[in-house]
Amino acid sequence: MRIELKKFGTTLISRQAGKEALAAFQSILAQAKPDEILEIDFEGVITFSPSWGDEFLTSLLNQFGDRLVLSPSDNPSVKITIELLEKTQNKKFKQA
Amino acid sequence: MEEKLLTIAEAAEILGISIDTLRRWDKSGKFVAIRKDGGTHRYYRQKDLEIFASDLMKLANDWIVEGSELPSMFYCANSSVFQARLIKMQDTLIRENIAGALTPLIVAVAGEIGNNSFDHNLGKWPDIPGVFFGYDIGNRQVVLADRGLGILATLSRVRPELKNHTEALRVAFTEIVSGRSPEDRGNGLKFVRQVVAENPISLFFRSGDAELRLKKDNNELYITRSQKDTRGCLAIIEF
Repeated sequence: MRIELKKFGTTLISRQAGKEALAAFQSILAQAKPDEILEIDFEGVITFSPSWGDEFLTSLLNQFGDRLVLSPSDNPSVKITIELLEKTQNKKFKQA
Repeated sequence: MEEKLLTIAEAAEILGISIDTLRRWDKSGKFVAIRKDGGTHRYYRQKDLEIFASDLMKLANDWIVEGSELPSMFYCANSSVFQARLIKMQDTLIRENIAGALTPLIVAVAGEIGNNSFDHNLGKWPDIPGVFFGYDIGNRQVVLADRGLGILATLSRVRPELKNHTEALRVAFTEIVSGRSPEDRGNGLKFVRQVVAENPISLFFRSGDAELRLKKDNNELYITRSQKDTRGCLAIIEF
């Protein structure tokens, strides 16, 4: 399953918006097969921040573990956010 | 040709503040009105309004210190208003192509600082809720401020051993605060520090009597004590 983050907006910055995005996505996530890979696609996102990322990506990482895979992104706000979330959680995201 | 003067009502409308506030500012000398010969009515030049509204740091600082009314263009009473204005700033940065590849980082840094104010003060604002958010793209400056509890009071809930504002700022910008109780913590100021350390962006951040300076492309943390102990937080981002 490919998750296009741009569908949640191009400026993903607040905790509140991250929580809302995750809640809205739960019904789709419930349809994922037990061994299905969830690939996060950052294409089209302009600004990404740790607050939004922590609510959405960290929660998915804790829920899906290695089944969560991040597509590569050149966006510097995505790169630094991922690095910080990994440090905070002391866990690595799987990269595609 | 004589310059057209604005009435006090027109000036109040443009600045988004009340007529009474303008009268008070005239009396106190904060923003002095013009009087026509022998008259008592107050008038304003358009140019003076622009100059007054362009001194972002003074406006933000005065708001923190005095709690006086703020021109509505800078006041975000809740996080929804802040998000909308942040996206508007992002659109302006992209349209005018001033910051190039730095744009997402500037927006993310401003977003983390502003959202921190809302996340940590929601339901606890000592008096006026919300943040000051102003930017001057031409001068490459973004200013944020709040009249909230400040970093020391906020961090003390998870780090009761913190003794002063200087220590609190150091922890906020350097140490990963793990554990999500008693409130969510995004470690957003660590993100801010890393972005500044690796990019041509600088930051001034004040909370209580501690002032922190992060310089462009520099990993050092410069924290000094200011003469006054002010409430909330004030942040100036330059790029």
